[in-house]
Amino acid sequence: MSDKNDDAKAAVNQKGPEKAKEIEHFGGPIGLDIGTTNIVSARTRGSSVHITKQLNAFFTVPASKITGMTLLKNDVLYFSQGGSYYIIGNAADTFANTFNTDTRRPVESGLLSAKEDEALNVIQSIIKTLVPPPKNQGDLVCYSIPGDPIDTKISVLHHDTILKRTLQDMGYTAIAINEGFAVIMSELADESYTGIGISMGGGMCNVCFSYLSVPVFSYSIQKGGDYVDAMVGAAVGESQTRIKLIKEKELNLLKDPKNKIETSLSIYYEDLLETLILSIQRVVTTSESVPRLTKPISVVLSGGTAMPVGVREKFEKLLKANRLPLQFSSVRMAEDPLNTTAKGALQLAIAEEK
Amino acid sequence: MAIPILVFSTDKTRGKLFSRIIESNGFNAKLYNNSADLDYAVRTRRPHIIVFDARHCQPREFQLVESFPGRFPDAEIILITSAAELPSFISAGFKGENCFSDPINPEEISLKVKEIYFIKNKAFLRIKTYFVLLGVLLKGIFSGDRDNPYIVFTKKIILAGAAALSVMVGIAGGFIFYSMSDLPKVQLLESYAPFESSFLYAADGTELAEFYLERRKFVPFYKIPKHVKQAFIAVEDARFYEHHGIDFIRTFGAFVNNLRAGDTVQGGSTITQQLAKMLFLTPEKSLSRKIKEAAISMQIESRYKKDEILGFYLNQAYFGARAYGIEAASQTYFGKKTEDLGVADAAMLAALPKAPSVYSPFTNPKKALIRRNLSLKSMLDRGFIDRQAYAAAVKEPVPEYVNRKKYTAPYFVEYIRSAMEQKFGDRLYTAGFKIYTTLDLPLQKKAEKATADGRAAFAKAGLGDVEAALIAVDLKTGAIKAMVGGSNYQKSQFNKATQAARQTGSVFKPIVYLTAFKNGYSPDDMIDDMEVTYSSSDGRQQWTPHNYTRKYYGRVTLRTALSHSLNAATVALANIVGMDKVISTARTIGITSNIYPHLPAAIGVSEMTLLELTYAYTTFANGKSFIPMVYEKITDRYNIKVEDNAPKGVQTIDPANIAKMHDVLGAVVTEGTSVAAKSLNRTVYGKTGTTNDYKDAWFIGFDDNMTVGVWVGRDNNRPIGEGMSGSRAALPIWINFMKED
Ligand SMILES: Nc1ncnc2c1ncn2[C@@H]1O[C@H](COP(=O)(O)OP(=O)(O)OP(=O)(O)O)[C@@H](O)[C@H]1O
Ligand SMILES: [Mg+2]
Repeated sequence: MSDKNDDAKAAVNQKGPEKAKEIEHFGGPIGLDIGTTNIVSARTRGSSVHITKQLNAFFTVPASKITGMTLLKNDVLYFSQGGSYYIIGNAADTFANTFNTDTRRPVESGLLSAKEDEALNVIQSIIKTLVPPPKNQGDLVCYSIPGDPIDTKISVLHHDTILKRTLQDMGYTAIAINEGFAVIMSELADESYTGIGISMGGGMCNVCFSYLSVPVFSYSIQKGGDYVDAMVGAAVGESQTRIKLIKEKELNLLKDPKNKIETSLSIYYEDLLETLILSIQRVVTTSESVPRLTKPISVVLSGGTAMPVGVREKFEKLLKANRLPLQFSSVRMAEDPLNTTAKGALQLAIAEEK
Repeated sequence: MAIPILVFSTDKTRGKLFSRIIESNGFNAKLYNNSADLDYAVRTRRPHIIVFDARHCQPREFQLVESFPGRFPDAEIILITSAAELPSFISAGFKGENCFSDPINPEEISLKVKEIYFIKNKAFLRIKTYFVLLGVLLKGIFSGDRDNPYIVFTKKIILAGAAALSVMVGIAGGFIFYSMSDLPKVQLLESYAPFESSFLYAADGTELAEFYLERRKFVPFYKIPKHVKQAFIAVEDARFYEHHGIDFIRTFGAFVNNLRAGDTVQGGSTITQQLAKMLFLTPEKSLSRKIKEAAISMQIESRYKKDEILGFYLNQAYFGARAYGIEAASQTYFGKKTEDLGVADAAMLAALPKAPSVYSPFTNPKKALIRRNLSLKSMLDRGFIDRQAYAAAVKEPVPEYVNRKKYTAPYFVEYIRSAMEQKFGDRLYTAGFKIYTTLDLPLQKKAEKATADGRAAFAKAGLGDVEAALIAVDLKTGAIKAMVGGSNYQKSQFNKATQAARQTGSVFKPIVYLTAFKNGYSPDDMIDDMEVTYSSSDGRQQWTPHNYTRKYYGRVTLRTALSHSLNAATVALANIVGMDKVISTARTIGITSNIYPHLPAAIGVSEMTLLELTYAYTTFANGKSFIPMVYEKITDRYNIKVEDNAPKGVQTIDPANIAKMHDVLGAVVTEGTSVAAKSLNRTVYGKTGTTNDYKDAWFIGFDDNMTVGVWVGRDNNRPIGEGMSGSRAALPIWINFMKED
């Protein structure tokens, strides 16, 4: 047991010189977004925010001396376990492509995967490539966790506790931030942290409504970019990877679809947005804590799944068509949708430090 | 503010919300989630205010809160509960005015907390203020400026009788106490509520206009450039950084001047005093109000730093042109942010709050320039700017009016805006109404094109500066679907369609014929068309109406008389039916302008607006009289209907007479003065009008769907051009508009 762990550490620590520099410590608090698709870290460097990220994925190849040397020579991050090399982070994608299959994921639908035995090991290894050991014992890291999924009994407690322990074991003081609230922290400072923040990621969508920086409600739905890929893939008989590629490269929901993939993509996007808005409507109307506001509030969309052209417009249209006891002034995109959560987590870490 | 407000809620989120709402008003809030802690805190801290959230409370917690009024009679309890449980709390003795039901209403709670906080603190403040006031009074009198004649004079009087002094102080003190019994809340200065604008929509839902008070962002003091602050200090209150809220020397000087003039001519207000005034909703000049303002001024001075006060003032002051606050003013007048204002700009703005309309650079550029330069001079005199900066600044021009927002259908928008302002007052700009108008945008475009084409044709014929107005009214609903009030709203806001009362000429004639039909005549009846001289009843005045062509046709049918617009025949008819009857007909079909009560009125010497005439013709078309309708419904900011404006036509002509009107007005087109309209290839009805020397040209007519009125003329009431009759100048525009495309 201890043997295996040492093995894992060894490989991860033997990174090439560039990688080592990348995670060089600037000191100060850290914001960390552990998503289904990506793990993103944010730190302040001078007056700007510095972002580093890795795919939250891995790929296994049979262990052999030659493979091991090639991997090391090419600065590929991996660890060895039970006769396999676990290639982690961005490199996993390259390998999967070469072998013409999909990567595996330690996080599924926003939460630690129950299917993958090595999920925790993989995540810990990736985190360590992004988060260096603390300068001082007890330095702050703020990590994002999803809201409890609406409609299911699943709780995020397990996921949350494991991540917290991982970070604490590294020597950090770890505080959790709800992913939707992180969007608000990062985007709604000018509006007194009042509004709705939505992160549309790979595995889920996270929603948070905050009034004067009090998170009044937050929850998640377990549908996201992966859901769209899977459903469209099944409908048109294409691989999920190919659908994902098309979606990320050229999807424009404002244009009429040109082929069956685009048609299907627009159908499932519509479905996703519809689910999202219905859930907001339900929560807002049943919550006892939503204050009566006379001023309209903003909605901010972030996350990779919100990025295609037209998502914002479609969302706004659907929102206006639904009757809600809140008024909305605008639906807008986060400044940097893929890094919003990490930046929000960093904001909270900075605020907590003071 | 040191005294904390205790907040209790068993729900963490709600508790945090309440605390944050309270903290956002500048108070300290202490949150408790369990009743034992709360009980302990209340016992040890004896707070003034407890905010108690009764949602999800257990009997134990209910018992606790119910014990508070008895145990701590000084504490005010603000209670929040479900609507269903609210009555039981009130009947248990909680003050109804302090009990609220869900949903949580931050504004309500904030206001309540401020109110209670203020009441609790008032007694203390009142005494403190009293002594400060008295101190200032005495200090002003005894150590005041030796050169100030008022003070020397006062001192003499006061020293003359010490007894009198004590009586005076006693009376003054009593009066001060009395005056301060209902002061507004100084903390209101800190809350900055933006207003909600109202919106105007066209019939298809397109946004036409937004009505708002310019009150943009609150600019914090440190973002306001130094020279801007200095400009205001130089102009408004040179001793701002020295006095304690009221400048005694100034106040007293103003007081004596006012006594001498027997009226209030001079304001002795400091910036702080002006700020204090802004806290009162209505202006008032009584002595007791003056004392209240002074008291508030001192509260402001003791609570805030000088810089904060100047900041509040700049953010609250009114600068004219509906601009509240310095940011709105810099945007309105200069299209800049406050940070970017130059010295000359600052001096201009500093001159405005005293008399925004008098010194407005938009309406009185000359006065504004003089005033602005005076401000610059004060800045120079006080050493805020040097000679060079002064010389450069006085050379700058004052800003000109640029309409930063261009409306479609500007005349229509303004017409409805002024109507709505009469209805809602200032709420129009603050309450967030949505007004759904009847304006048909494609038709409006067509109307604008038709009038522009018409003007272009005049220009081609060498007739510049001719104006044209047009109104289209829906026959079914009486709604205005298009309105052109002039050629250039920027240049002239005067609406030629609704505001210009002009001589009507022959467009008035159909009213004479309608009166005849009502009295049993029909279009085939005959009337004499010949030169006749009419005398007034006392025989002193004589008048001979002439036909336009100077030709007379002898006996003609009423149809011919109207379709050929024969003046002699029409006057003869009016003479038979009686002008009083003609006038009463005009009134029943909605003409409200004055009508000259003698025969010349029959051929249109009275002045009327295109609006009322077009509605009169709508009545000819279908017998119904409408009040001009410009909107269908109005909703409030929550989209709840405030008003539903259903069409309100009243039948004022019976069907037989409608048919007769169609007969004669149709003949105008088929055989009379307006045969050009035959080119439309469908049945239309109408009448031309031309006034003396071709000053006004009219055509008003209708088809099965709408009535359309066109007027052509000049703003200065000079002739349009030789031969520019209704059929030559107005009818082509009408035809152009009625054309199907
Ligand atoms: N340009 C793009 N257009 C469409 N989809 C995109 C684009 N870029 C990324 N995505 C999709 O966004 C998802 C990843 O987004 P993001 O990194 O925000 O998710 P995550 O935070 O890793 O996941 P989660 O928040 O659900 O745990 C993937 O489904 C990816 O396909
Ligand atoms: Mg995410």
